[in-house]
Amino acid sequence: MTGVADGLRVLDFSWFGVGPITTKYLADNGAEVIKVESRKHPDGLRLTPPFSGPPGINRSQYFGNFNSSKKSISIDMTTSAGRGLVRKLVPHCDVVAESFRVGTMARWGLGYEQLREIRPDIIYYATCLQGQTGPRAGFAGFGMQLSAIAGLYYLSGYSPEELTPPHGPYTDFIAPRFGCFALLAALDHRRRTGKGQLIDLSQYEATLQFLAPAITHYFATGVVAQPAGNRSPRYAPHGAYRCRDVDGRERWIALAADDDQKWDATLAILGAAASPPGLAAHADRLTRPHEVDEYVGRLTSSHDAGQLAAELQQAGVPAYPVQDCSDLRVDANLRDFGFFGVLEQAECGPMPYDGFAYRLGRTPGSQTAAPNLGEHTSEVLSRLLGMSAAEIRRLRDDNVLY
Amino acid sequence: MTKQAGGERVSRAEDGAVTPGGGPLCGYRVLDLTDEAGALAGKMFADFGADVVKVEPPGGCPTRRIPPFLDERAGPEDGCFFQAMAAGKRSVVIDLGQPEGRELLSRLAEAADFLIESFPLGYLDGIGLSYDALAAGNPRLIYTCVTPFGDRGPGATWTAADIVGWAAGGMMAMMGAPGRAPLQVSVPQAFSHGASEAAVASMLAHLERARSGRGQKVVVSMQAAGVWATNAETALPALEGRSLSRSGIIPAGMSRTSIRKCADGYVQLMVGGGVFLATTVGLLDWLAEFGPVPGVVAAIDFATWTPERFRSGDAGFLAELAACDAAISDLLLRVTKAEIVSRSDANGWVVAPVSTMADVARDRQLAARSFYQQVEHPGLGRDLTLAGPFARFSGTPAPPAWRAPMLGEHTAEVLRGELGLTAAEFAALEAADVIGSASQGALR
Repeated sequence: MTGVADGLRVLDFSWFGVGPITTKYLADNGAEVIKVESRKHPDGLRLTPPFSGPPGINRSQYFGNFNSSKKSISIDMTTSAGRGLVRKLVPHCDVVAESFRVGTMARWGLGYEQLREIRPDIIYYATCLQGQTGPRAGFAGFGMQLSAIAGLYYLSGYSPEELTPPHGPYTDFIAPRFGCFALLAALDHRRRTGKGQLIDLSQYEATLQFLAPAITHYFATGVVAQPAGNRSPRYAPHGAYRCRDVDGRERWIALAADDDQKWDATLAILGAAASPPGLAAHADRLTRPHEVDEYVGRLTSSHDAGQLAAELQQAGVPAYPVQDCSDLRVDANLRDFGFFGVLEQAECGPMPYDGFAYRLGRTPGSQTAAPNLGEHTSEVLSRLLGMSAAEIRRLRDDNVLY
Repeated sequence: MTKQAGGERVSRAEDGAVTPGGGPLCGYRVLDLTDEAGALAGKMFADFGADVVKVEPPGGCPTRRIPPFLDERAGPEDGCFFQAMAAGKRSVVIDLGQPEGRELLSRLAEAADFLIESFPLGYLDGIGLSYDALAAGNPRLIYTCVTPFGDRGPGATWTAADIVGWAAGGMMAMMGAPGRAPLQVSVPQAFSHGASEAAVASMLAHLERARSGRGQKVVVSMQAAGVWATNAETALPALEGRSLSRSGIIPAGMSRTSIRKCADGYVQLMVGGGVFLATTVGLLDWLAEFGPVPGVVAAIDFATWTPERFRSGDAGFLAELAACDAAISDLLLRVTKAEIVSRSDANGWVVAPVSTMADVARDRQLAARSFYQQVEHPGLGRDLTLAGPFARFSGTPAPPAWRAPMLGEHTAEVLRGELGLTAAEFAALEAADVIGSASQGALR
């Protein structure tokens, strides 16, 4: 195995979305990421559909997608012997990652201050919804809650009376990049200075980076940003427009034009002879977006979304069909980027995975499937701690390795 | 709120040296050749103390004119997007359309650690600033291309607006109401997914460069980065033979999301067992303060709300759930968002306010962590408040926020002071409009 993170070892207590996606970047690039779970407290996503075949603790693709290339050891952290094992593993690790409620790790004797005593240059990545300090440090919740708290739900809808939130635990897919960037910065700092540190990643503060312009605007003007459908202060047309149904399925195209040249090109491709007089100038279109939408929507309705997008793009107009997940699976650009893959999972066999959104030209990473629960317990304990088969068996019998 | 004065920056690149207080990435230089598709990437580097030099065309980067604006003006320093996303960067104006400008960029790249760009595919290659060309002068360079749809497919040369990226990556199809147009978020998101992915990918390459001494070319697909936001629903067609579509206007909501109207806005909460049980029971107790709760609800034995029963989906349980749901919706209409948040804070409920930007600006958790940062902006003659750092380090805190640069503000500092152009060379390039500086009055 070769990858940019070769030689790094991460002891990963994180679960659900943000933590696992953060460490996945390292695992997919060669780091040994050792996930610590137990049958008593498995990563909650292991029990969450979709499953490959029948439901089962090793069969969730949802879990698999965020935990590719990792190892799993099963240790019951509620036992003192289990916590003792972890403390022996820590000196072998560069990074400890966790996403528990604030204070959980410290109660186990595994907080940053405790672990730096046994590994002084440890990098300790702690992430939770609202940060390790402050009055809401202990707030328990998921990305749905945070999407609401951070302002994303209110900014999603046709109007303030018609909110339509972004799908799923949306902020779970914003915060990991900030977390991983911070982790990589801390690793580099350790390389330069020999010093480890604690990283407190508040998923709330990370998410607000995506809303930074609206924050600056609010503080400067007092104007509260409103949900505005697909309206834009820069583009008209700007939106999703209905195209011809295909096999009884709705098709839409997203397109945007910010000058007269793109407008004229759009009209020509849509087969309109000339712009309606009141909509010929960009400045006018910006003030009459409803009319623009209605006019464009009438024209697109007889077109094929895919073909129309290709023609508009040829003319320099940003456009793409509105794709659902089945469209993504056959999207030629994702395919040619090598995005989707099928990995051989130990219990399930071939399982579909999302791949890399980036390509490191000289040192591409490579993925393996997510581990079965406890798949690597014996291997890791014998290799890192030199434990014998008999010792490991005894810990299993005592339900410490569980 | 901490406030940063408008004079000198705290730290400056010192060839890989670590400066106390400079942040974890101090000492690295990033050439930022991006527009809105990559602006956040450079911002992330700048937040951690890297020296990010934004190379802009004469007249300024188009991101300077993205609305909304701070006030009535729409000049190059007035855009909120720019002030937010260029904060902490320096600005150097170079016309890459002229050979002398390209030569300057090549020389800057010799001393840079990262170059991040989001030009149309092939543009830099075509003007002699390809990865191979720049790597010849600096094999350590990490050269990151932020593309809309990758560099190999039929859409490699296509262009994007944010909404188009949102559609291409799959998020748009799942947002909106059936029968109505699919939606984007009103503060556009897709470019930021690609840009933040580019920041991570660049740092992954940097991790390896520390060992090998070699840089490389990195390519990012905004579309693919956006697919990561779909919550892994991409496997549904293969595993369950279905795909998700728009789920509707709240409060109908999708099963895993529930927004409810309260007296003066909305809150997000889920009625149910498990981690939501204490919240459910607590809200029902609150309802009782207003009068008798419905008999069906009063009769529920919550000890029977076990995960097993939830999974079995038995009709009795579902009826109880529906009754609680209706009762709680009734309660919420009688109370305000602030009252709900206050009770939730006191009791540890899993209830989230549907916050507006005004709520986010006043949030006491963010205030307790001194999240927002105020900066002076002498060019605008006012202070600005910016989003603060996205991660807290115990050992190397991020440096204080720094305002966005004025157009060409650092052209002389970088090209004369650091690249070593003579006064005569600088003046000649400026006269030929190859470069532009603030002192020249920039900037047409």
